[in-house]
Amino acid sequence: MAFTLTDEFKQRAEKICARYPRRDAALIPLLLELQREAGYVAEEAMDALSGYLGLPYSRVKAVVTFYTMFNRVPAGKYHLQVCRNISCHMAGAPGLLAALRARLGIEEGETTKDGLFTLSAVECLGACGDAPVLQVNEDYFGRVTAEKLDVLLEDLKHGKYPSTR
Amino acid sequence: MPKITIDGKTAEVAKGTTVLQAAQALGIVIPRYCYHPSLSISGNCRMCLVEVEKSPKLLTACSTEAADGMVVRTDSDKVKAARRDVLEYLLINHPLDCPICDQAGECGLQDYYMEHSRAKSRFPQEDKVRRQKRRALGPHLVLDNERCILCTRCVRFCSEVTKTSELEVMERGDHSYIDLKQGKALDNGYTLNLADICPVGAWTSRDFRFKQRVWFLKRTPTVCLGCATGCLMEAHHNDGVLYRLVPRPNAETNTWLCDHGRMTYKAVRAGDRLAKGVIKNGLIELEPALREAAGRIDENHPAAAVLGSPWLSVEDNAALARLAKDAIKTENFCFDFPGAQGVKDGILINEDPAPNARGARLVKDAYGGIALEELRARIVDGRVKTVVTEARAAAFVRDAVKASGARLIVFATNRADIPPAAYATLPYACYFEVPGTFVNFQGLRRRAEPSVAAPEGVRPLWALVNRLAAYSGASLHLDSAADALKEIVFK
Ligand code: SF4
Ligand code: SF4
Ligand code: FES
Ligand code: FES
Repeated sequence: MAFTLTDEFKQRAEKICARYPRRDAALIPLLLELQREAGYVAEEAMDALSGYLGLPYSRVKAVVTFYTMFNRVPAGKYHLQVCRNISCHMAGAPGLLAALRARLGIEEGETTKDGLFTLSAVECLGACGDAPVLQVNEDYFGRVTAEKLDVLLEDLKHGKYPSTR
Repeated sequence: MPKITIDGKTAEVAKGTTVLQAAQALGIVIPRYCYHPSLSISGNCRMCLVEVEKSPKLLTACSTEAADGMVVRTDSDKVKAARRDVLEYLLINHPLDCPICDQAGECGLQDYYMEHSRAKSRFPQEDKVRRQKRRALGPHLVLDNERCILCTRCVRFCSEVTKTSELEVMERGDHSYIDLKQGKALDNGYTLNLADICPVGAWTSRDFRFKQRVWFLKRTPTVCLGCATGCLMEAHHNDGVLYRLVPRPNAETNTWLCDHGRMTYKAVRAGDRLAKGVIKNGLIELEPALREAAGRIDENHPAAAVLGSPWLSVEDNAALARLAKDAIKTENFCFDFPGAQGVKDGILINEDPAPNARGARLVKDAYGGIALEELRARIVDGRVKTVVTEARAAAFVRDAVKASGARLIVFATNRADIPPAAYATLPYACYFEVPGTFVNFQGLRRRAEPSVAAPEGVRPLWALVNRLAAYSGASLHLDSAADALKEIVFK
């Protein structure tokens, strides 16, 4: 199915473009918009956006692949992103990751069959003071312990989105 | 103008000159990968690091502007250590498959490693990141992502020269690799330049792959005859066989070559290359073919015509003019090819696919002759019954010949060029085999130099003309290509 940018999206996009001296500078914010809508940035979306901004497709693809924050395949309802950099590593990230793998029965980069959870290991989230850090969709959860993780997963499973602390 | 001192030598350079360029002007070559004189500066490879007085860190010479009073060292221990380290870094994931790599012998990694490093790597071979190898991307190229050092020259070429922007660096860190859109071919008309500018063996030519080790190749400077631009190039050959064409960058005409021009050498050994004469559709030896052609011309001298060709050298055109004037003694000859001339794609490719319309004009200036329209008219109204010309130039009178049924005698190198209406075809040596002078669309005089021998029995066109004249009982005294040039005045 051909992918087209909706008029509604284009209206929002125009406002975002207007914030920058050059249209193509709005590339990252617009990619984030697309991801917010669909949960990921599809190949066809990159094509459509490159046409819309007058950028070569290869440029758009390069940016999408450069930033790990862009999902290139549909993610689950909750995208669990465990920081694996130095501070979090020392504060127990490997245990956190192992626990998630065991609890969800998936590896990094995979999504549970019910489509609820996607698991990823990511680089420093810039919140080292709260290590180990887990990002769920766009929210941070700091100082995550085994108990906190259990509570969090139960809440999410029951459709309850907890506050970030 | 800033005055800069590099390794004790001082030079005054224009504002905006980089340290790398200033060094070059002083005869000091700073190693580089990502820098290319015809592309924008990227500064990503770090191979060009130099020590600049008062700067706490080494600086990249390619992207640092020369400033007044700057004192630079390119030979200090710090610089030498940096070069070793950069090479070790660039080689961390390099597959080191030089024995099966076409670039070996002209590879930036090999050359700089020998010159600036020779150190043992501290990174174990087993831990190298593996990538896709042998990806055929487009009609002319193969990409080996493992060999790539991510200098982005190819990326910049496609965005700045062809402006097609197919390539980009995808992913980041040691996941990075060069790629283009899934399922797309890299085919922008200038792709083989990537095989030239890629400093390593990542981009290689599908045509040249595994044909020759580069150190066996001999190099002959020559000119491309693919169109009226007349790009300067070098023919690479060994043991009488051509293997590839590469550009000879020059300020007047070209830094690059187009893919079409690059492949022009293929006709030399193509399956349809003519080594014998053709009468109607049958092959015959050269001498009987010449005799037959001469016989037809002699049937009626006043009704014979000679049409030069913008695909032939000035020498061969001049020999044809002599044939008309001094042997056939006819007024029916034409060296008048207007040909729209100008670069049509904004890069190199010319509107005129023939290389020598301007050279033919010099022959017209020296010998006169009639206009193309007039020749066509004389063919149509039957005043001209036989036309002698070159195979591709026959297209200029195709309709007239068709209308009147005039007899066509053509010179050709390849069977594919022979027009269907040709009565007799005489094979001649192409300009990879014999020398020739050409005048490009800018009016610049250029020499095609022979790099290989013509097939057995195939002779230069001027020599065939000499024989034709002899059959008609005239002597043109043409003993060499240069003999034909006597009356030509180059401007
Ligand atoms: S393929 Fe060659 S030219 Fe392109 S980035 Fe890699 S090393 Fe540089
Ligand atoms: S632009 Fe013309 S002269 Fe230059 S390489 Fe191409 S065909 Fe040859
Ligand atoms: S290391 Fe995990 S947030 Fe910085
Ligand atoms: S040549 Fe200067 S950084 Fe590559």
